[in-house]
Amino acid sequence: MQSRDDLSDDLAAHFRAHVAAEPELKPYPMPRRALAVIAAWLVPGAGHLILGKRGRAVLFFVAIVGAFALGLALHGRLFWPAPPDSKDALIPFDLISVLWFFSQIGAGLCYLVPYVGGWGTNPQPWAATYEYGNAFMFLAGLLNYLVVHDAFDIGAGRKR
Amino acid sequence: MHILMMILYAAIAATVLSAIDPRSDTTPQRLRHGLKMFGAFLGIGLLLSWVLYPIPW
Repeated sequence: MQSRDDLSDDLAAHFRAHVAAEPELKPYPMPRRALAVIAAWLVPGAGHLILGKRGRAVLFFVAIVGAFALGLALHGRLFWPAPPDSKDALIPFDLISVLWFFSQIGAGLCYLVPYVGGWGTNPQPWAATYEYGNAFMFLAGLLNYLVVHDAFDIGAGRKR
Repeated sequence: MHILMMILYAAIAATVLSAIDPRSDTTPQRLRHGLKMFGAFLGIGLLLSWVLYPIPW
């Protein structure tokens, strides 16, 4: 069994070798941080690129844009908040369509560009891959929300 | 088709989630975490499909 002094020496050596050797985390300047968060929403991975994390930027871009494009190719639909079925509804939107819209708009320009271009705006529920396509587009948008938060954390100096 | 979609879905989700994991600092740690997550997604997906298969809805 190690004595207390030996254990302290081991811990001190580990601290010097691993923890103290790493540069201290510092927050990025506010304009760069804000730009990174906005860019991260608009183009998946762009926020990490602005913060100098090139590898992760490429990974996020390929994964998220790829998932969204795959969803569109599989005849997924771009959702927009629809009016309610009943005229007496308290909320002026069909809530489920708001949720689907919120999921997809998380992918930023991946949603906006096809929407303006008219791709994916005509629902094709009879297509065999319609639901798969929707699932991939929801995945892309929701993952990008997490990537935006990650860019914010890196910008704020909370993680590497 | 369904299993291929599930594999793709799990791969994309595991890739992004492991890359933003705050507990992994190095690339090997992220890779290990991502592979574990990918396996868990697939395993749990297959298990749930077997469990839910007899339910008639």
